Amino acid sequence: MDNLWQIAQQRALSRRDFLRSAAVTGVATRLLGFAPLRAAVMPREQKTVVVTFGGGARDEETFAPEGQENIPNLMNKLIPQATFFTQVVNRGILGHYVATASLATGVYESFDNFADVAPKNPTVFEYLRKGLNRPSKDVWVIAPSNGFNRIGQSDGSLIVPGMGAQVILPKHLLASLLRTNSATSSGPEFLLQDNYEDLFFTPLSVDGDSHPTRLVEMLLLSIDDFVQHAKTLSSADELSVYVMRQLMRQFAPSLLWITLHDMDIAHTGAYSLYLDGIQRTDRLCAEIWQMIESDPEYKGRTTMLIPPDFGRDSDFSASGNGFQHHRTGDPLSRTTWMMALGPHVRQNVTVDRPLDSLDLVPTLGAMRHFATPLAHGKPIVEVLG
Amino acid sequence: MKPGDLRPESFASYPPEARTLAAKYLAVFQRMPIILLALILREVIQYDWSFPAEREKLTGQLDLLVGMTDASFAALMSLFNAIPLPNQLSTLKWANQPQPFSERLTAYLWTQHLIDDYHNATQAYQTFLVRALPQTRPVTPRWTFVVIGRGSPKLHRPLFQPLATHGTLFTQVDSRGALEVLEAALRERAHQYPMDYGHWYIDGGDLLQAEAVDSRLTFVSYNAPVPAAKREFTLLNRFSREAGSRSAPGPEAVGSYISGMSPEDLDLTGTSSDVPLRRFQVNLITQGAGCQIFSTTFVQWAARECLHRAQPLTLFARFATRQCNAPMEQLLSRDPLKQPQDAEGSLIDADMGAYYTWINQSRLPGAEEARFLAWFEGQSVACAISPTLPEGTSSSQSINMEQILKQMA
Repeated sequence: MDNLWQIAQQRALSRRDFLRSAAVTGVATRLLGFAPLRAAVMPREQKTVVVTFGGGARDEETFAPEGQENIPNLMNKLIPQATFFTQVVNRGILGHYVATASLATGVYESFDNFADVAPKNPTVFEYLRKGLNRPSKDVWVIAPSNGFNRIGQSDGSLIVPGMGAQVILPKHLLASLLRTNSATSSGPEFLLQDNYEDLFFTPLSVDGDSHPTRLVEMLLLSIDDFVQHAKTLSSADELSVYVMRQLMRQFAPSLLWITLHDMDIAHTGAYSLYLDGIQRTDRLCAEIWQMIESDPEYKGRTTMLIPPDFGRDSDFSASGNGFQHHRTGDPLSRTTWMMALGPHVRQNVTVDRPLDSLDLVPTLGAMRHFATPLAHGKPIVEVLG
Repeated sequence: MKPGDLRPESFASYPPEARTLAAKYLAVFQRMPIILLALILREVIQYDWSFPAEREKLTGQLDLLVGMTDASFAALMSLFNAIPLPNQLSTLKWANQPQPFSERLTAYLWTQHLIDDYHNATQAYQTFLVRALPQTRPVTPRWTFVVIGRGSPKLHRPLFQPLATHGTLFTQVDSRGALEVLEAALRERAHQYPMDYGHWYIDGGDLLQAEAVDSRLTFVSYNAPVPAAKREFTLLNRFSREAGSRSAPGPEAVGSYISGMSPEDLDLTGTSSDVPLRRFQVNLITQGAGCQIFSTTFVQWAARECLHRAQPLTLFARFATRQCNAPMEQLLSRDPLKQPQDAEGSLIDADMGAYYTWINQSRLPGAEEARFLAWFEGQSVACAISPTLPEGTSSSQSINMEQILKQMA
């Protein structure tokens, strides 16, 4: 791990150069200058949306010159409005569920990625609800269904139980509806793509949305409408964003966490499908920001943070097979980035100082004024206004 | 059991040649830390069906360890010894079942945040081996041909971009007879430099007839092991159902179960002389993610494993189209040979597969003298990498395949 920071630094500088080459952002020094703030005073009711650019993408397919064609929306629409952090290091286990849980707790969780367990440490969802005394409908998680059903709430050993987020697993929701409604039993099964990390393994007890009909009713949708709309979508992540839109309309939660996952199809070794996943994720990130900006409940009061969970193996790590997996734990697979957008976030700014993946939770706490006592990491001052 | 407690009978369950090998090197095994020893025993237990290059590499490594002084041996093992190993792991049957042990060890290393220490230890060990072991250079420079795009249309995106920086991009290749020229080159080299498992033909579809009957070639195709892959899924489903009735089988348990599959389990029958190849095929479809469902992944992984394990003098890898994507459940259950094909996606997959094949060839001894050619089948673009050709250049001169090979020679 000694050379991790060094490699992370090199990668960060490369990312900055990549962005410079595309001439879309300023440099870090502009942070001290006159980068415009869109709102000098924050609105009273803040909202936060966290979008994990999940599933693992490398610079070669994203921010490197040859990869930028895959992320036109990040490059051309979002980065000019964002503060972009070029160096975020994940020192934890590189499995999607455990890594995302670590992002959500601010502690590197060490449970088996494939186990049906809750995080040991309190989640940001519990911190927020407890600290700000919010009801359960104020905090939601939308997640791919491979094991993420327990991400909304810790195991309760370190914080009072029952304060977690509501978790929706859209794919399981759709699967349940397809099973229970024979009239709609054909068509969108392709959205149920799941668990690329281990083709043969599915956790036993994935029942986070055990009342699918009730959930759909809560979203003020008919089952037929939900299934019919699913038929018009091209991927599981699109289904997640569709569910997110309904949640925003019906409950306008103040903390929404959505984990995208399509690009993890890279585990099958099909490079073209991996690129498709990245391109779709790029488009969905822009759509989510557009949803925020066009919704009166969210516009002008929402901070959106986009962190990847981690990268993927380098082409040159002999023990790996390039983009296909994230098994080697090599420095490049641990080094990612983060993007922040919102009324109190400076636009078109690049920050090169090193961050840790664990900094996310303390940052959310500082931003929304709730305590995160067991989280490690430090608040990211550049997004605190 | 501790390594010092190992006896010849500890390897009673090993195949005959592996058992003999283990007995020969018992003394050095007794001095090794379990973490490294289990890695080495994973290779020892496969010795009977290893390729010649693998055998040479393994025995060379063990001879080297035997000849070390106590002090240098201790220094070499120190990074492995520094990794704590809990009792629940050290008491497993790591000698009899090194693969399941490794699965458990990997999970432990990740959860204890020791995976980086482990990687550092293995990298230091590998570096030592590379420096200390004489590199066996091939008797003639290695040649690899990668043919991509059978059944795919031209794309707007340029091909062979990462490769082109290392060689010459030919943009006006006369494709008439080009495939036959490459096949002839493969057969000619097999004649000229006869060697067990020295000349390979890997195909993403059916084998060409000429290759299938040439006994000097080792050939592997995607279409042939498809029934074995289906058999694998059947066995896995059965295993999951039976294990699931007690408790959920974790990925380590599933991995261990898969790694224990034999050619006979997967109905891959043959003679005793082709056991190494049948074992190789079993490894492809049990260890390679995606190889079972996508022919493009199969060819890339097979080429990687072939280069890594057999270190051939000649490799001819020919990609075909793969089936369209679908939910995993369908991909695992349906016949991949009877599905609509993703022609455009297959070409992108294969383009990357060609690059990875070159990377893997570049890891072998004699890489600086090796030759590599990638060609879009039936089309006019090819990329050639050779010490005889300039790097990062492009040629728009009209040229045929025979002329390219001459320039590469």
